[in-house]
Amino acid sequence: MSTDEATARRRYRILAVLSPLTLLGAWAFVTAQGLATPTILPSPLAVLASLTDMVGHGYSGVDLATHVLASLRRVGIAFCGGALLGTAIGLLRGRVPEIDALFLVPSELVRPIPPLGLIPLFILWFGIGETSKILLIFLSVFLIAMVNAQAGARACSLDALRAARSMGAGRWQAFRFVVLPSALPQIMTGLRVAMGTALTILVAAELLGGDRGLGFLILDASSFFRTTYVFAGIVLVGLIGLASDRAIALLGRRIVHWEGKR
Amino acid sequence: MIRTALRVVRPARPEAGADPVPAAARPVLAFEGVGFAYDGRAVMRDVSFRVAPGEIVALLGPSGCGKTTILNMIAGFLAPTEGVALLDGRAIAGPGPDRGVVFQAAALFDWMTVAENIAFSLRCAGRPRRERRRVAEEMAVLVGLAGREDAYPYELSGGMRQRVGLARVLAARPRVMLMDEPFSALDVQTREALQEEVLRIRDRTGCTIVFVTHSIDEAVFLGDRIFLLEDIRAGRFERFAVDLPGPRDAPENRLAPGFLSLRETIYRRMRHHG
Repeated sequence: MSTDEATARRRYRILAVLSPLTLLGAWAFVTAQGLATPTILPSPLAVLASLTDMVGHGYSGVDLATHVLASLRRVGIAFCGGALLGTAIGLLRGRVPEIDALFLVPSELVRPIPPLGLIPLFILWFGIGETSKILLIFLSVFLIAMVNAQAGARACSLDALRAARSMGAGRWQAFRFVVLPSALPQIMTGLRVAMGTALTILVAAELLGGDRGLGFLILDASSFFRTTYVFAGIVLVGLIGLASDRAIALLGRRIVHWEGKR
Repeated sequence: MIRTALRVVRPARPEAGADPVPAAARPVLAFEGVGFAYDGRAVMRDVSFRVAPGEIVALLGPSGCGKTTILNMIAGFLAPTEGVALLDGRAIAGPGPDRGVVFQAAALFDWMTVAENIAFSLRCAGRPRRERRRVAEEMAVLVGLAGREDAYPYELSGGMRQRVGLARVLAARPRVMLMDEPFSALDVQTREALQEEVLRIRDRTGCTIVFVTHSIDEAVFLGDRIFLLEDIRAGRFERFAVDLPGPRDAPENRLAPGFLSLRETIYRRMRHHG
């Protein structure tokens, strides 16, 4: 049985590595055959060359690391803040009808609005500095985390809650020891979705001006038709997304060790 | 080992299961004219009974007959809409650690180890870590889970999960243990072993037990008295006293003439009313 498991895991890893390599191969093939003009789809090697160039000389007079860190800082602050506040309010909404009633209409009014549509408003309200960028990402993360935490809190089984109450748990103890752990699987899933969205909004948020960040880099390069640099920037955002998703998923499996085992 | 000849159970007269509590003594549990209405529809009317300390009462009946409603009222999950439910003479107001519940699906906390599950009531009461561990180990021994304290519930079989469910209730030292068909999803061998375990636990702890079941065999084997819930809407239920010779946990009891005749009596009664 354990050898079967090991085989299955090896097969999973091979497929997980093979699929991006195949895509890369197809990309290389298409460009090598001259099926696409380089300004539309540059070859992987040309993108790699631009990436190496940026690692060595930076982009638009700024270190590549500075661009990356500027973006990570915005996403990091917005993600942590949005995840914490959204999860807290979502859990409360899931258990306290009065709090749910308070948030229902405002949150459902804001949720369908595309973040890009809010950019002009945010510029008016918060200017074109860091505040606008971070708040825009924060809002998206907050809404996703809240919806998931609320659904998670509702998933708590009645028997588990009753068991806790009949063993002397007060309201807070029942929440801390039963509702919160029951909601964790869904909270972690919500955080994965929120991180993906946060990176999407990042690029849009960096439309708001400024001269650093991966979003700025991509937009700036595209307005000068430096397609290889656009691709290099996209690859970096993609890699950050992949790494953060894997990190959250791994963390989730560690924390929610009981999921799917019953 | 030869046991003394098993006596035949008394014929089941309606008064055979009458509340064995002398008028002067205080019952652990008492229902006085309890009724329950759900959405304005009465599902239970005028139910009265008393349970003596250390007694095991089996609530027997088909699903939907209202036996779990009675259990939920004792637990404090539901409040009577008429009459009063008393624990030690005081009206029951909400759940509390003096009335532990063993659930049909165990309802363990999957995110906690066996020891943490067992000692949950002590954690809620703010007891120190070392005491919690000590009690968890004692209770694990009591229910036959010694050595599995650090396992997680999902690593245990169904029978072992119910042993944890028993242990965490016992750890709170309840006045009354409430059991809601806890063994109905287990295989026969495990179920019988756990039924015998319940009887031994009662002997050791003196805990009063109210046991909900739809199995006649289980009711007769475990119960000191059996309440056969016929028409709970009219407050009608028949009571039977189980008179099997001790020790009650002896597996031979399942084949004793008294066991078999009471089983038959109840079976005929259920068919007659059904």
